[in-house]
Amino acid sequence: MPALSFKDISKSFGDNTVIKAFNADIHDGEFLVLLGPSGCGKSTLLRMIAGLSEITTGNLLFDGAVANEWEPKKRGVAFVFQTYALYPHMTVRENIAFPLIMDAFRKWYHLPIVNIIARQRLMKRPDIAERTLKIARQLELEPLLDRRPVSLSGGQRQRVALARALVRDPQLYLLDEPLSNLDAKLRTQMRSEISALHHKVGKTFVYVTHDQVEAMTMASRIIIMDKGVVQQVDTPDNVYDNPANTFVAKFIGSPPMNLIPASVRPDGLRLMGQIPVDHGAEIPTRREVTFGIRPEKLELRVEGEGRIPAQVVVVERLGAETVIGCRLMTDKAGNEELLIEHDLVFVRVSGNPGMRIGQACSLDYRSEDVLWFNVDTGERLSLKKK
Amino acid sequence: MAPRKLLIKALRYLLIGVLVIVAGFPVYWMATTALNLNSQLYGTGQIAWPQLQNFPDLVSELGNVPIGLWLFNTLLIAAGGTILSLTLGSLAGYALSRFKFHGKGMVGFFLFMTQVVPEALILVPLYAMFITFGLLNSLWGLILANVGFSLPVACFVLKGAMDAVPYEIEESAIIDNCPRFSVLTMIILPLIMPSIAAAAVVSFFAGWNEFLFASTFLMDRNLWPASVGLASFVGQYETPMSAVLGAALVFSLPAIVFFLLIQRKIVAGLTTGAVKG
Repeated sequence: MPALSFKDISKSFGDNTVIKAFNADIHDGEFLVLLGPSGCGKSTLLRMIAGLSEITTGNLLFDGAVANEWEPKKRGVAFVFQTYALYPHMTVRENIAFPLIMDAFRKWYHLPIVNIIARQRLMKRPDIAERTLKIARQLELEPLLDRRPVSLSGGQRQRVALARALVRDPQLYLLDEPLSNLDAKLRTQMRSEISALHHKVGKTFVYVTHDQVEAMTMASRIIIMDKGVVQQVDTPDNVYDNPANTFVAKFIGSPPMNLIPASVRPDGLRLMGQIPVDHGAEIPTRREVTFGIRPEKLELRVEGEGRIPAQVVVVERLGAETVIGCRLMTDKAGNEELLIEHDLVFVRVSGNPGMRIGQACSLDYRSEDVLWFNVDTGERLSLKKK
Repeated sequence: MAPRKLLIKALRYLLIGVLVIVAGFPVYWMATTALNLNSQLYGTGQIAWPQLQNFPDLVSELGNVPIGLWLFNTLLIAAGGTILSLTLGSLAGYALSRFKFHGKGMVGFFLFMTQVVPEALILVPLYAMFITFGLLNSLWGLILANVGFSLPVACFVLKGAMDAVPYEIEESAIIDNCPRFSVLTMIILPLIMPSIAAAAVVSFFAGWNEFLFASTFLMDRNLWPASVGLASFVGQYETPMSAVLGAALVFSLPAIVFFLLIQRKIVAGLTTGAVKG
């Protein structure tokens, strides 16, 4: 039985529907990433899992039980917020221990003033103090235990937020873009730390991000969303190699997959309606299609040696590799107005091929690396053998 | 230092000096008058500097009236009103800041209206209500009447401060198994302490300085606050001016001390949310 199931979940704010008929299962112990552009509804979905937002229609099942109306407490989840949401007036120790103290609170402890005394007494209780210390050690926070969040760096705050999530040992961890406020170097470090943490605790993680690198490197499965609709649910490799539609193909990968309009004519395939290409393999039967190929699958060759004539427009040196933006040589190719990114075809090559801007070249590919998409719906087309 | 900068600096200090004199002179004059004898005040004329040798006369004159009791009553009224205003104001401010409910705008409007209506205007209806509820000649009744005016201010100040507390902190506490009421008392209120101090000062001084309701609703001399007690010095044929000013000085000192103690927090509280933190 999956740890968490979404059955036709939707969420509306007034007339605005932000999540439409969402269906998915999250398995026990997996690291599931909700990936999509800003405003696609992924954070709303996470908040619905936590019980912080109401579900408009559909059912959310925790271990098979409908949990739509459950209080956050009953769900037994831990939530790491994008802003960390640490309690500024408490020390790191108090922040980490807070969930344990709340679990140990009796009803009358919540009375004003009584709660201050109760909290101080519970902080000293051996089991709470030891557990807090153990988690702090695990995340290398021990030297910072008596400091307040304001005096910590972004990475340290992030670790405190993780420690507070870990301390209660919940079954489900919800992380809402926890790395988005960190600089690039720290983000890479924390990415590894969170992955290692997942392996260590072996619990279910649901992680929201708009960063495809985080999704690809950390996830066991990815749910890609756009405008409140699930686009694809799959493993990182499959999402990259076999995107379900042009949105996924464009969203995953940097630079993204090259999507070139193509026409299927009686005499063969023509890219951008003009460049005849001897594809050398089966092509779709539809008249108009989208020809998709990843930048690293394209081969950059000298002029005349490849099937697709092109001209170098952009050269981006990235150290170990180079990304080259080319314009395909159609009749309109000389028009400078076409020098915009979405008209370019990107090629990723290792090292420095020594290409200059304006240099004529040609591109080639292996036919099995090409993916075909429906030009109207964007859905991927499968070529079934007759 | 360049002459121009020096001039600007000198002018700045001069302006500050003038402001200090304008603000401080009444207090100085109050002390000086209190230490003059009535015979000097009404006869030979007031001496402009304090006559410390007259201090025992002032003490014996003030000893004739229950000024200690009046100050205690004032403290009860001011502190009681402050506690009640802050308690109810934080609950109402939290509701207005965090919850959506029908009539929310109306509640805000009515709270605001209480600040527009002059106290004197509602004196008569309030008097009638106090008779009905048996609150006349009672300190509790007076506290309630004062709270009616100080509560909206406290509510607005605290609501503004709560608006600036990120939702995530509150949601994080809810996830951590903290009930709503404890979210307010354990998380939100400690974060808005400067604004609580500001609201406390406003409420406290409203109660401390209040005269109109106290003079109308309290008949028993032993229940009077100091403000009414001070006014009672003014007689039909004679007003012992040195005693009046002496009592006024005694009346002002606790308020000045209270203000000095928390003035830093007040400034921080009144500017909460004004700039991005």
